[in-house]
Amino acid sequence: MDGPTAQSPLNLRRQRDPRVFGVDRQSLLKAFFGGNAIVAVIVLLLITFFLFREGLSFFPQYREDMELYRRSGMEYASLVKQEHDRFNELLGQLVDIRKRQIRQLESEGKTREEIAALTAPMQAYFYDFSDLAIPLRDYQIAVRDLAAETYKQARMDAEQHRIDTTHTADQHAHVIDYDGTITQIKATFPQLTALNNQLESDMLVVLRKFPPLEDPSLQPLVKAFRKDAIAFTAGLPHYGATLAEWEPERSVGLWEALKTFLFGEQWIVNNNGHSLFGLLPLLTGSLLVTGIAIVLALPFGVGAAIYTNQMARRGEAGFIKPCIEFITAIPSVVIGFFGIAVFGTLVRELSGTPWLDWLPGFPIAERLNAFTAGCLLALMAIPTIFTLSEDALSRVPRVYTESSLALGATRFQTTMRIIVPTAVSGIVSAVLLGIGRVIGETMVVLLCAGNRIRIPDFSEGLATPFQPVHTMTGIIAQEMGEVAQGGIHYRALFCVGVVLFLLTLLINFAAQKIFRHTRVGE
Amino acid sequence: MKRLCHLARLRALSLFLLGGAALALTAGASDKIVVKGSDTLGAKLMPRLKEEFIAIKKAKGETVTFEIAAEGSRTGIAAIIDGKADLAMSSRELQSSEMSAARAHGVNLKAIPVGVDGIAVIVNKDNPLDGLSLREVEMIFTGDIDDWSAISPVSGKISTYTRNTSSGTYSLFQSLALHRRDYSPFAQKLAGNEQIAAEVAHNPRGIGYVGLAYTHNPGVKVLAIDGMMPSNESYPLARPLYFYVNVNEEHPPVVQEFIDFILSPEGQAVVESVDFLPASRLKEIYPELAAD
Repeated sequence: MDGPTAQSPLNLRRQRDPRVFGVDRQSLLKAFFGGNAIVAVIVLLLITFFLFREGLSFFPQYREDMELYRRSGMEYASLVKQEHDRFNELLGQLVDIRKRQIRQLESEGKTREEIAALTAPMQAYFYDFSDLAIPLRDYQIAVRDLAAETYKQARMDAEQHRIDTTHTADQHAHVIDYDGTITQIKATFPQLTALNNQLESDMLVVLRKFPPLEDPSLQPLVKAFRKDAIAFTAGLPHYGATLAEWEPERSVGLWEALKTFLFGEQWIVNNNGHSLFGLLPLLTGSLLVTGIAIVLALPFGVGAAIYTNQMARRGEAGFIKPCIEFITAIPSVVIGFFGIAVFGTLVRELSGTPWLDWLPGFPIAERLNAFTAGCLLALMAIPTIFTLSEDALSRVPRVYTESSLALGATRFQTTMRIIVPTAVSGIVSAVLLGIGRVIGETMVVLLCAGNRIRIPDFSEGLATPFQPVHTMTGIIAQEMGEVAQGGIHYRALFCVGVVLFLLTLLINFAAQKIFRHTRVGE
Repeated sequence: MKRLCHLARLRALSLFLLGGAALALTAGASDKIVVKGSDTLGAKLMPRLKEEFIAIKKAKGETVTFEIAAEGSRTGIAAIIDGKADLAMSSRELQSSEMSAARAHGVNLKAIPVGVDGIAVIVNKDNPLDGLSLREVEMIFTGDIDDWSAISPVSGKISTYTRNTSSGTYSLFQSLALHRRDYSPFAQKLAGNEQIAAEVAHNPRGIGYVGLAYTHNPGVKVLAIDGMMPSNESYPLARPLYFYVNVNEEHPPVVQEFIDFILSPEGQAVVESVDFLPASRLKEIYPELAAD
C-alpha cells in the first residue's frame, strides 16, 4: 500500500481478493500452471524409465534363453535344419526348370491339361527328388522333439522362478537333465551319418534318372542343377563333422544376445516353445515403408508449400491450406481401411493391365505390400511437411524478396533462387519431422503392409517396394495382446519399442538441430 | 395445506424408494458373462449361442448380458488366468507355459469340449488343383517350395497366408500339418479367418487355411487333403474346440447354466448350424480323449 502513486479504488478492491491459506489468487494460478508442467515432465520421465527398464531387461533374459536353447540341444536341431535348407535350394533349382518349361508351353498356347500331360515326367521327377529329404526331415523332427522336451521344462522352471522369487533355492527340487538329453542326442550321430550316406547314394541314383527335356534352352539349367546336386552330396560329410564339433556347454555372452537381437534376420515366435527375436526384418521393413512414403510425400508437400506461399492468389491459398491440413483430421484406421478395401485392390488391378508390364515388379501379386502402406503414409506425412515448409518459407524476411525484386529479378527467380534456398533448412527439418511422423505410425502399416516378417529382397531392384513387409510398430501392435507380462516375448516387444523411441528421438533431434543451425534473419 | 404438502413429499419419497428397490432388483437379475478368446469360436458360434441363450432366459423373465472379445485363444486363456473373464474360448489345448502360469496364479482350468472344427486349406477358385497331399501342404507352408510350378501345371510364386501367432489355428495347423516345423518366412500373417479368405479370393496364386465356417466365401475353393474333404470322418486337419472355466473360482450360477445350454441338444444344434461338428464327434476323432 506504500506505493508512490495513489491507488485507484478499483485496484484497492483487487488487493482484497479471496485468499486460501494465506495465498492469493495469482500465486495459486501460478502454482497450478507450474504444477501442470511438472506433472507432464514427471509422466514423461516415468514412461521413458518404464520403457527402458522393460526393454533393456530383455537382454539378460534373452541371453539366458539362448543358453538354455544351446544346453538343451535345440540348437543342434537347428543345425540339421541348415542341411535341409541347402537341400531346399536344390529343390528350388528344380522347380525353376519346371517353371520355365511351363512358361514356355503357356506361351505356345497350350491348355493346362496339355501342360500337365507334357510336363508329367518332370513332375514325377520332382516328387522323387523331394522325397529324398524325408529321412532328413524326420531325423530333424525327432531330434528337435527330444530337445524341446528338456527345453520346455527348463523354460517352465525359469518361469516359475521368475514368478515367485520369494522362495528361491528350496523350490528347485527336480534338476533338469541336460546331460541326459545331450547324450541321447549325441547317440543319434551315427544315425545322421548313415542317413547322409544313404542320401548321397540315393541322390546319385535319382540324378541319373533325370527326364529328357526337349527345350535346348533349359540344358544349362539342368547342368547347373546336376553340378550343384553333386557338390551337395560331396559336402554331406562336412555337415556331419560340424555337428560332431558342436559344443552344448559353450556359454552365451550378453554381447552375443545383443548382437542376435540387433542383427538377427529371423523373428519367429513360439516354435516348440522357443522364439527367435531378430530386429532386422522389422527395421528394414519400417525403413522401406518410410522411405517410400517420404519419396512420395516430399514433392507434394514441398511443392504445395512453395506454390501456396509464393505463387498462389489469396483465394487459392485460403482454399489449399485448409484442404491439406484437413488430411490430419482423418483417423489413421480409416486410411488403413481405405487401403485394404480400395487402394490395394486398385493398385493390383492396375498392375495387371498389359500396357503397364514394362514397370518393375508389375503385375504385382500381393495387394498388401510396402508400396500400398507407403502411399497411404505419404498422405499422412504431407500435411506435416506442407505446414512446416510453408512456415519456413513465410519466415524468410521481406527484405530479401524486396531486394531481389529491386535488383530486377522476376518473381519466379526470386522464389527459386532466393527464398527457397534461404528456407531450405526449415524445409529439411520439416521433412525430417515428416519422417518421424511416418515411422511411428501403426494402424496403416498393420493393416496394409502385408505382415511378412522377412528382410525385403533388395536384389529385385525397383520391384522391392511391392513386397509385403512387417514393421516395428506393427509387430508391437500385433503381438502385445498375446504376451504374458514380464515374459521374454513381452520384453522383446518393449525392446523394439526402445529402438523405435531412439530412432524417433534422433530424427526429431536432428530436425531441431538443423532448424536452429541456420535460422534466417536473426 | 401444510399437511397436504407433507403427505405429497412422503409419497414422493416412498415412490422413490420403491423405484430404487425395483431398479436394484432388476440389476440383481441381470447377470453378465464375460467370454474371451478364440476368433474361430468367437466370430460366428459365440454370437449365435449368446442370442439363443438370451432368448431362453427372456422366456423365463430373466435377463443376461454378455461381454465377448475374440482376439485369439491365447488372449482368452491369459484373461481367464488374470481373472478378467468367466469363460475362455480356445481352439486348441492348453500349452505347458499356460498350465504353469495358471498354477502360479492358483487357477484350475477345466476344458469343456463344445465341438470340432476342421481347418480347411483354401485356394483361389482359378487354381487348377483340387487336392493336395499332406506332404505338399507341409512343403508349401514351410517354404520348402515357393512356386506353384512344383506341384501344378501353372507357374507363379505361391502367396502363403497364415494367421498370426496369437491364434490357436496358427499353432494347431503347425502341429497337424507341418510337424511343428517353422512357417515359411514368406508367409503373411493376417489377423483373422475372414481376412485370409478375402486375400485368397483376390489372389489367384494364394493359399491359406481357415475354419470351416469361412469356406463359403465366393472366390475360394476348398482343397481335399490326402483325398479327403473336411466333412470326411478321418480328415487329417480337424481340431477340438473348447471353453475353459476356472473351477477354483465362484461363478454366478448363470455361467454354469450357459455351459449346460451349450452341451444340450439345442446348443449342439447351434454348433452344427455354424459348420462345426458336434462335440459328440470328438471321441471318434480323438479316441484318446474318450479314455478320460
